[in-house]
Amino acid sequence: MAEEIMEAAGLEEEAADESQKGQFMTFQTGKEFFGIGISYINEIIMMQPITLVPEVEDYIKGLINLRGKIIPVIDVRVRFKMPPAEYTDRTCIIIINVKSMVIGLIVEQIAEVVNISDDDIVPLPSLKRKEKEQNKYVYGLARLEDSVKMLLDPEKLIKQEDLVKIEENQEEEQE
Amino acid sequence: MKILMAEDDFASRKFMDNYLSQYGECDVTVDGEEAVDAFMMALEDNEPYDLICLDVMMPVMDGYQVLKAIRDIETQRGISKKKRVKVIMTSALNEERNVKTAFELGCEAYSGKPIDVEKFDKLLKKLELI
Amino acid sequence: MAEELNNDGMLDMFLYESGQLLEKLEGIILEKQDADCFDESDINEIFRIMHTIKGSSGIMMFENITKVTHRLEDVFFYLRESQPDNVPHLELVDKVLDVSDFVNGEMEKIKAGEKTDGDEGPLLKELDDFLAKLKGEIKDQGIPLPKQKKNDEPSQFYIAPVASENSRFFQIVIHYRNDTMMSNLRAYAATFALKEVAEDMLYTPEDIMTNESSADVILAEGFYIILQTKSSAEEVHELVDSTEAENIEITELSAEEYGQKLVEHGRVDAPPAASAKASEPAKEEKKAPAPVVPGDYVVKSKETGKGKTLAKNQPKKQSIISVNVEKMDALMDLIGEIVIAEAVVLQNPDLKVPGLELPNFQKAGAQLSKITTELQEIIMSLRMMPLTNAFQKMKRIVFDVSRKLGKDIEVQVVGENTEVDKNIIEHITDPLMHLVRNSVDHGIEENVEERTSRGKPAKGRITLEAKNEGGKVYISVKDDGKGLSKEKLYEKAYSVGLIGERPITDFTDKEIYSFITLPGFSTKEQVTEYSGRGVGMDVVVKNIQSIGGRLDIESTEGAGSEMTLVIPLTLAIINGIVVQIGSSSFVLETASVKTFMRITSDSIITEPDGEEYIVLRDECYPFVRLNEKYNLKGAGTNVEDGIIVVLEHESRQICILIDKLVQEQEIVVKPIPSYIKRVKGVSGCTQLGDGSIALILDIASLVDNKERRI
Repeated sequence: MAEEIMEAAGLEEEAADESQKGQFMTFQTGKEFFGIGISYINEIIMMQPITLVPEVEDYIKGLINLRGKIIPVIDVRVRFKMPPAEYTDRTCIIIINVKSMVIGLIVEQIAEVVNISDDDIVPLPSLKRKEKEQNKYVYGLARLEDSVKMLLDPEKLIKQEDLVKIEENQEEEQE
Repeated sequence: MKILMAEDDFASRKFMDNYLSQYGECDVTVDGEEAVDAFMMALEDNEPYDLICLDVMMPVMDGYQVLKAIRDIETQRGISKKKRVKVIMTSALNEERNVKTAFELGCEAYSGKPIDVEKFDKLLKKLELI
Repeated sequence: MAEELNNDGMLDMFLYESGQLLEKLEGIILEKQDADCFDESDINEIFRIMHTIKGSSGIMMFENITKVTHRLEDVFFYLRESQPDNVPHLELVDKVLDVSDFVNGEMEKIKAGEKTDGDEGPLLKELDDFLAKLKGEIKDQGIPLPKQKKNDEPSQFYIAPVASENSRFFQIVIHYRNDTMMSNLRAYAATFALKEVAEDMLYTPEDIMTNESSADVILAEGFYIILQTKSSAEEVHELVDSTEAENIEITELSAEEYGQKLVEHGRVDAPPAASAKASEPAKEEKKAPAPVVPGDYVVKSKETGKGKTLAKNQPKKQSIISVNVEKMDALMDLIGEIVIAEAVVLQNPDLKVPGLELPNFQKAGAQLSKITTELQEIIMSLRMMPLTNAFQKMKRIVFDVSRKLGKDIEVQVVGENTEVDKNIIEHITDPLMHLVRNSVDHGIEENVEERTSRGKPAKGRITLEAKNEGGKVYISVKDDGKGLSKEKLYEKAYSVGLIGERPITDFTDKEIYSFITLPGFSTKEQVTEYSGRGVGMDVVVKNIQSIGGRLDIESTEGAGSEMTLVIPLTLAIINGIVVQIGSSSFVLETASVKTFMRITSDSIITEPDGEEYIVLRDECYPFVRLNEKYNLKGAGTNVEDGIIVVLEHESRQICILIDKLVQEQEIVVKPIPSYIKRVKGVSGCTQLGDGSIALILDIASLVDNKERRI
């Protein structure tokens, strides 16, 4: 499994052509549209009851039980440092598999699967903005007829800032 | 040297025959009873075997019975332990109890099957047969 | 059964027995390494061990093992007979360990099916020299040399079957063209050709020569041959090829598959299995497994060759079998699923109708619970192993490393019989090894003066201790060496930039000690061969955390350090109490729950800094409001409405407030997905009967956390 994904990631880098290549699941968060390579996606499920896990980053919403498998879920909005939104019946969880880690992404609304050819992908202009934070998950922009989709790099999306122990200790001290 | 082999399985027999023939004349029987007969005949003719290779699972008499019969006959005839025929059991039955039984009945060696020819050579040297 | 066919009983027995003896040998050596000499019973024991291994390896014809053990036996023979003084003890210890290593190495080769090609020459020479030296000394002491020992070569030998290294196994399926006349004769021709190269062969149908109708079977189903040979697939193909053959499939089999096929084909050339038992008279079956007697293995039919059946089938007793660990793990997982499924059934929301009484259902449910509990206990007990071997290994490491570093260290072992889940043993061996090396290398002082000046004995001491308490296993490595220097640790952490600009007073002792577990941290300037650079301690911690354990570090500068691995007894199932706080469910390990009670609000005292305590019967317990700590919504805040739970860990208590006690049940522990960083106070999670997830509270860290703040 892991190998497959590594391979998929590798292919992406080398821009090799594969059947799933160029297919993106798009979803809406806030006003923006985002896209995730379809090869990362296991399935999409409806919102589930989430078990909170204390003392984790705010975007990690907790755990869900998907057919006996316990999967952590993160809220994409919160991850993008947007104010959290109410969960509605349109809220979905996209189950992705990155380097054999299975994680759920809570998104406000699923849009559609689109084909985006490499030519339409513009790498993100390397702005020297302070808020690099927000852009590091986005590796490119795709211009479609009516809208611009930001393409996400799932690996970076789920990557946590490496908290070293000291920081944990600091937090503890501050308690 | 003079060799007797009792082995009912054709492939094994052929293999052993090929192998042992380099060391001497090799008589072959296909069941236990014949093996005892052959052993007796050789004794009667005063040309006893130097080495007997016995399969364990054989028709009519199994290897253990043959071994016991041979040792009994030797004792009866007053053949000393030193002079008695060297017996090597050959079998795929390689559980400890099988081997132990054979040792108790007085074989010189027990070789698992398939046979490790290299070690078999060493064994024959140890038994001072070659 | 298939495995047994390929496992050589004799060989296994040899490996097992010799392995046991070598372990025993190492035990004696390590125990007596620091003594001045071996006492008489040790010498006798070592002599006996060498004698036994020599004898059995002789029978098995592993000559290099025989030679080496024989030589060492000679050495101990002289020691035993002459009882000389001034034996260079350490040198002797080295020699014995060398021999033990050599034999172990060769045995590994045997296990791997390789040739025992270890060169015994150098070792023999060393032993000869040593013996010569001994004899010299014995002469010097004026003790008459003992008579040359009579050489008792084994008179009976066993040759293990050839390992499958050069024999190959094939399954050959030949389909003849439909119009082939007398295909049975074609088939026979093929088998005849194969007999040239076959070491063993079986074919179906078997009666190709005697039964003409077998030709039809061959045409319809094909002719199956299984073959053991040294030839390649191509050579085999060449031999069986004929113009009538439409299709020849040759598949190479593994030795196991081959054994399996032999059984399938009803070949009983292997240990007589329980097949055909049915035909035995009943009284025969009741007999205890009889030893082999002549006549047991007579083959019934006079027909030579194939399809042997025994005249008498052995009732077979197998008291010990070895099981693939993967199968055990699979079984373990399944049992975990059963436990969950049981909870899903017995606590099904459908049953929660007010006034509904189901006495028969409850009875049946209770029976089911009883069985699943027993099932769990059995699988657990199957997986439990004592730590003896792991500790033995550690002793050896201390010995090796301390010798090489020129330190004088004794090892004390406490509680080595503590039993732990096999999985856990596998996970802790490396971390433990690292801790032990660290203690020897960094812990114990290099200079004896440094020790004596502090009033410590010249000889360093490392204590390995294991104990089992409250569902956890504590394994500690304690040394009486330098201890950790807080200042040095702090300076180091500061200089590598791990802690920013914070002053040393910001940290508790424990936190300072935990610096050594940070990636890329090492106080030892000089990198040594044995404990490496700072890599390692962080890996140790990671490994331990991965099995739900932790590393505790205690140290007193100048007096020594103690590193304790605290690990769960078993990874899988615990007894827990499910409680509810707000809308969240938590599991408390039953063993750590002391009492439940209701209190009035005047039992609570609040310190000026906001810390709360509950005073009960003259006892004062720290009180933690988990709902505040974990930010849980909807939880009751009035202590009079909820239930107070007193939790205990290592005789330290803490109180928490819960809203509702749900029930006690068996909890299948699942790890929190690794994506979520370790959460303080939570050791895992589980799935409840209704499919929801509950977090398992880690009492130890709750207690610790609280205590530190006091």
